[in-house]
Amino acid sequence: MTAMSETATRRSLALRFRGVFQDTITVLWRDTIRTMRQPDLLAFAVVMGVFFLVLFNYIFGGSIGAGAGIDYLDFLVPGVFVITALQGAQQTSLGLAADLTEGVTDRFRSLPMSRAAVIAGRTIADAVRNVAGLVLVALVALLMGYRFASPLGALGAIALATAVGYGFSWLGAAIAAKVRQPDVVGMLSMFWLFPLMLASTAFAPAETMPGWLQDFVTYQPISAASDAVRGLASGSPAGGDILLTLGWTAVLLLLFAPMSVRLYQAEAR
Amino acid sequence: MPSHARKPRAGPSPLTVDVLSGILDTMSTSIANTRTTSEPVVVATNLRKRFGDVEAVNDLSFLVNAGQIVGLLGPNGAGKTTTINMLTTLASIDGGSAAVGGFDVKTQPDQVRELVGLAGQSAAVDEKLTARENLDLFGRLYKIPRAERRQRTDELIAQFDMVEFADRVVGTYSGGQRRRLDVAAALVANPTALFLDEPTTGLDPRSRAELWSEIAELADRGTAIVLTTQYLDEADQLADEILIIDRGQIIASGPPKELKRGLQRDVLEVHVAAGDLDRAVGLVGEVDGLAYDADAGSIGIPVGDDVDRSLELLRRLQDRGISISDFQLRRPTLDDVFLSLTGAPTEREEVST
Ligand SMILES: Nc1ncnc2c1ncn2[C@@H]1O[C@H](COP(=O)(O)OP(=O)(O)OP(=O)(O)O)[C@@H](O)[C@H]1O
Ligand SMILES: [Mg+2]
Repeated sequence: MTAMSETATRRSLALRFRGVFQDTITVLWRDTIRTMRQPDLLAFAVVMGVFFLVLFNYIFGGSIGAGAGIDYLDFLVPGVFVITALQGAQQTSLGLAADLTEGVTDRFRSLPMSRAAVIAGRTIADAVRNVAGLVLVALVALLMGYRFASPLGALGAIALATAVGYGFSWLGAAIAAKVRQPDVVGMLSMFWLFPLMLASTAFAPAETMPGWLQDFVTYQPISAASDAVRGLASGSPAGGDILLTLGWTAVLLLLFAPMSVRLYQAEAR
Repeated sequence: MPSHARKPRAGPSPLTVDVLSGILDTMSTSIANTRTTSEPVVVATNLRKRFGDVEAVNDLSFLVNAGQIVGLLGPNGAGKTTTINMLTTLASIDGGSAAVGGFDVKTQPDQVRELVGLAGQSAAVDEKLTARENLDLFGRLYKIPRAERRQRTDELIAQFDMVEFADRVVGTYSGGQRRRLDVAAALVANPTALFLDEPTTGLDPRSRAELWSEIAELADRGTAIVLTTQYLDEADQLADEILIIDRGQIIASGPPKELKRGLQRDVLEVHVAAGDLDRAVGLVGEVDGLAYDADAGSIGIPVGDDVDRSLELLRRLQDRGISISDFQLRRPTLDDVFLSLTGAPTEREEVST
């Protein structure tokens, strides 16, 4: 009895953190295997991206481009990057909700593992998939005639889109941990995804939106991210937007990471 | 009948607790803590759990020693799964307390999780991974070092006869194959206390018999085992101690033999031609607890354990020209115990032919 309690107290905080790290890597490994066995998720993200590229470019390209005096494809591609990363966040939400209804979640709860790792591993696995999706969307954009200002700019654009997508995937995780019903989660993600996506500068400049909406449109995270990615991709200065985007990402993480872990633990069973 | 009815053990064996901390404890991967006392491994004291108006578990207390198998037996909704969930930290405890390996389930859940293995009522494995990947995944989460993990995985795959399908994704498995993997997954870290919730549901007779002998062997090696079942023969075969639970309460407990002995009512069942029934009943005379079924043409005569009396009755009927088409001497089964205690039959299943 005493010997065992001593063993328990000998585990320092540092070791605990190591445990969280290890478990996160393990869950990441598991989720990556699962992702590779479901290539349709990646395919879906890419198809969505391509769909947006083609649709917006050929339908709205002429009017918006001419109105703002810009090449619309240059404007559109960074926006589609951000939207693609957001789709990934939505998939975190749906995937985690489905996961929580699966039996293996019960076993996780009976194991001496970190609770946070279950969600952290998943969000990282989804971020990795996001990078793959973004690279594929970038290739399609190149085929359509889009050009990055520099290879470094391309990397930066993909990295920043992934970062903001990662922030949102914790929002998705919190919703999933709270609701746990994949179909309801699917509906709920429409509620945050669509307004943020459409009332943003991802597809059209803020000037084209109604005046009362412009402040929101200018500063909300998806606009900030779209403008920042645009800056990186085209090699024009965008320091303010990049900072704003990273700020939003930090806010999302600080708010939703602890919340989703708490919700995951709070099982009413 | 499979021939692995367990010998009763002389007493609890010294408890060995392996706390697997893997890479966390960089120097040694396991701390063996050998105790010479006969402290029980699982201690449940006045456990309670309610869901709204339902008292799912209502003041349940029991002990499980190292090497002992305790069978929880009860009808649907009796509270078996809820009890197991509380003891394995899956469900919160509303009242009372529980300890596993000396650790309090409520306040030291992490330590308890190191010690328990659980095969729940529904399979808790990853459908998109293979059996091998699943076992490896759980081994990693227990922080078992890689080489040891590989070895353990191979062992379990062989032990549970999963070689043929170990590298296919679980989603393609049959129910019984999944069940086997689930039980194997509970054993990855050599648990000190093993909880099996209806482990043989859905298994074919051969797999079932094999699993029985695995379970018996684990107990012989010192694992404390809690097993729930709907099958009385299973509890009868495996358990050292049976707790009959109804509506969250223990209504009877004891070794299977004692529970059956408490009944003391061998019954001679005689089948006669329908027309002979009345006369046969008359010939048997006044017997306490006599029952007959006119449609089936059967008479049930309580005879205690007096063989001569059974023979005498049969002879008397035959001598008076009553044609006996069939007879059997029924020993009390746990079904009878169960019926007499709860008034509700349980699912019955025949294993051997
Ligand atoms: N999450 C829950 N919410 C509400 N009631 C519950 C919940 N879980 C269990 N119960 C109720 O608690 C009681 C005990 O359930 P439990 O699952 O422990 O029974 P059991 O003995 O395992 O039954 P079975 O043999 O059918 O598996 C039942 O009446 C059940 O309906
Ligand atoms: Mg049950």
